[in-house]
Amino acid sequence: MDNREAKFILSAYRPGGQDASDSRFSEALEQARRDPMLEQWLRDSVTFDAAITERLSAVEPPPDLRENILAGVKVSRVPHWKNRLRKWTIAAALILGATLGSLIWHNARPAHLAGWQNAALEVISSLVRNETSFDAQSGNPSELLTWLRTNQAPATKKLPNDLGKLSSVGCKTFSWNGTPVSVICFVRKNGELIHLVTINARATVDRTRRQEANLVQRGGWATATWREGDRVYMLALKGSRDQLRSYLL
Amino acid sequence: MNAIDFQELVDRQYVPLYRFALSLAKSEADAADLTQQTFFLWASKGHQLRDGSKAKSWLFTTLYREFLTRRRREVRFPKVELDDAREDEIAISPNINALDAATVSQALREVEEPFRAPLTLFYLKQFSYEEIADVLDVPIGTVMSRLSRGKALLRRRLLSKDETLGNKVVSFESQKSRESHG
Repeated sequence: MDNREAKFILSAYRPGGQDASDSRFSEALEQARRDPMLEQWLRDSVTFDAAITERLSAVEPPPDLRENILAGVKVSRVPHWKNRLRKWTIAAALILGATLGSLIWHNARPAHLAGWQNAALEVISSLVRNETSFDAQSGNPSELLTWLRTNQAPATKKLPNDLGKLSSVGCKTFSWNGTPVSVICFVRKNGELIHLVTINARATVDRTRRQEANLVQRGGWATATWREGDRVYMLALKGSRDQLRSYLL
Repeated sequence: MNAIDFQELVDRQYVPLYRFALSLAKSEADAADLTQQTFFLWASKGHQLRDGSKAKSWLFTTLYREFLTRRRREVRFPKVELDDAREDEIAISPNINALDAATVSQALREVEEPFRAPLTLFYLKQFSYEEIADVLDVPIGTVMSRLSRGKALLRRRLLSKDETLGNKVVSFESQKSRESHG
């Protein structure tokens, strides 16, 4: 083994000495003991490595990272019994909503909404009919927002005033023309549902969409759409625009 | 793995995982996101791992694969000519005492990606060359080669930062002669 080969091997030798008994290093270490030049090189190398390790050990993660990890995972892991109970509760609420809205939905599909909005209402409808399941479930909307952010799905930074006071049911993400869209379902005080849809503004055709909410009544759906920063939001419920308006104040 | 074990795992590994992610990602936000996503994947799939002693390796491997997957979606990195970095070209050493953690971390992030990942795992102190080979799924010889060349590249990056900061470059030879003269 020449010095060049010894240096090559010793580059993987850790400064803490954990590798002292590793047979792969023994011949190179032995050579370093015999050759003062190589020995000096090893000493310099270990000193350099120890200093880099020390500097990198001082790099601290963001202060809220640990809490975000624990919250993000918690929301996707629901206890078994709780999950079953929740499923029955949700099923009952969704069947009620589906019964009230299905006739209107099938007879009068929204005609003046953008493609992503129609796609979102399809997904919501599918959730209501229990034909598809939520990606994550939680009664706490903040946990769902954390889950969405963790999964690179669009998520609002701040919920509209009255929406933040409601309990959530779950969230769902889907792709529209390759762009991620997220839906969060909330339970209103009367037991019916209201849904917040979020999409990146760049993906929408109407990029100049104004910040004031644009309310549309189509079939049984009332929708409000507005832009805030780089996101476009749509709030949707089965009911009237007046019912929807109270969540926008 | 139950909830308490999971919390223990997070407490034990989230800091080194974040540091590894930071060396790979473009920003602190991306690094935090990669770290979170890795633990999310653990919660979804990792608990199926029967050998608990492999949890650390699983997390680092998963984070690295997740990074590679995301990178493929972005503009591809220019191909790095591995022979460009010859470890024996660097005869001088940066004055490491003059450089703080942020500068060293930044220099590491400027090292080309094929060298950066093994270097970071090496400097996290927790990984032997064999474990690094497992995480990155490359042969042991490749790990040694990338460590050797990666260290040369890191010295080069640190030297340029050292010079930018106006510090005098100290050669190994002059260091040695100073030491031998007391």
